[in-house]
Amino acid sequence: MSTQKRWIVCSVGIVAFFVVLLSITYMASMPDSADSERYLSIPIEVSGAANRVAGIYLNTRLFDTLIEILVFSVAVLGVRYYLSHSPQISLPSLSESAVVRTAAGILGPLALLLSVYFATFGHISPGGGFAAGVIAASAVLYVAIAQGMQATEARLSPQRIAAAEKGILLFLFLWILLPLAFGDAPLTELLPPGTPGKLLSAGSILPYNLLIGIKVFFGAWLIIAAFAQHRGDL
Amino acid sequence: MAGHVLLALLPIVAVVALTQSRRLSAIIGMGLFSFLLAAVYLVMRAPDVAITEATIGAALVTAIYILAIRRTGRLTVVADEVPGLLAREADRIVGLEYDILRGFAISQGLDLSVSFVPLRRVRWLVAHGEADIGAGGIVPLTGAIDPLDATPGHLETGVYAFDARDGRPTSELAPDYDGYFSELQSKARNGLLSSSVTSLDLARVLSLSRGAPLEGLDRLDGRHGYAFLVSKDRADLKRDLVRYVESLQRSGELDAWIARHVR
Repeated sequence: MSTQKRWIVCSVGIVAFFVVLLSITYMASMPDSADSERYLSIPIEVSGAANRVAGIYLNTRLFDTLIEILVFSVAVLGVRYYLSHSPQISLPSLSESAVVRTAAGILGPLALLLSVYFATFGHISPGGGFAAGVIAASAVLYVAIAQGMQATEARLSPQRIAAAEKGILLFLFLWILLPLAFGDAPLTELLPPGTPGKLLSAGSILPYNLLIGIKVFFGAWLIIAAFAQHRGDL
Repeated sequence: MAGHVLLALLPIVAVVALTQSRRLSAIIGMGLFSFLLAAVYLVMRAPDVAITEATIGAALVTAIYILAIRRTGRLTVVADEVPGLLAREADRIVGLEYDILRGFAISQGLDLSVSFVPLRRVRWLVAHGEADIGAGGIVPLTGAIDPLDATPGHLETGVYAFDARDGRPTSELAPDYDGYFSELQSKARNGLLSSSVTSLDLARVLSLSRGAPLEGLDRLDGRHGYAFLVSKDRADLKRDLVRYVESLQRSGELDAWIARHVR
């Protein structure tokens, strides 16, 4: 496609996208806000999470979140499955400059710390397991850039990580089915909500955030490792 | 107000990102788009969504894209140094072939990456698909250099060999020696060149003979020219490179570069 054509296609596409978006926002077709109002009217003491968003997606709408986790697991599985059919390649290392390596070496541990914070305090302040997991994967990517993919893979073996990732998924599904053992419906909250704003509060949201964080981290790392193995090294 | 400014910037950044011919610039544009979007979410009081957008869109996806283009977005050139054609000078690379390859990479929207390797390794790396182009004063002596292919010569040169008295080339490619060109300097000074060299090209002979005159080297008969090596599987790459060099010849730019670097 010529550059001019590309310009036209891009421009028309973007303009059309924003016209549609603005129409949805400003015209009569506004989504019904009654549902969101209903969620916002639930007192935070019910879930115990000072972060109302976490209270919704890890308590009231936990089922949706679990399906989201399942979708992510399927994506990881798909990437690994399709890449496993392409041959493993080992190319000469394209080493980064000293500036990039040093910066990545400093940024990696800092990002990891941030990830732990987001997972641990996700029920009190903005954050949560998904963001924490992605930050952790980025942190390990920085470490891999600084120290090399082989050294990082030796420490975080994709085979073991893949097993652990599936294990966490299984554990999460067993956890939501556990209330059946006590005669309750699945997804029933088992832990007390506690005082909103305290670290140990919000019932199962803290363990959920930690588990989702680890799971997303493992999944994202598996995708990165699969690309590195089959599409060229870091 | 800030939200409206950020929203207005979004389509502008998107168009800029999508219309970049250089892949790295496009990826940086996409990362910037994600950052702006995260800022929009933040202004709209959705910090959770902003954090997720920033971590996935701006950090992880950008990093994965960069990984993805490290091979495809690069033109990987392997070469041994040869003064005037492709050599390090302080912290940069200079020379006629470097200028040609840099211009070619830009014309293809690729980032040029030059790795200096021992001469005999150049051929192996290109043949095994681990580098796109072999350069650094390579002179094809015979038609067949399987599984490689050479471009037509971009600069005429002479070829010198130690055991060429019978007039036959010693290998399919000249020059031919062990290790790096830089290691030949001391050998030339001590008169030990013939222990590791079978053939040399004019540029290297001139460079080596600055210290002490070279003895025992004979010029091979025939016309020879410097060329680039590509794999036979990369016919499209060869075609593009040949076309680019021809366009330089037509515009007279190649002659200007030759005058600047070689003569």
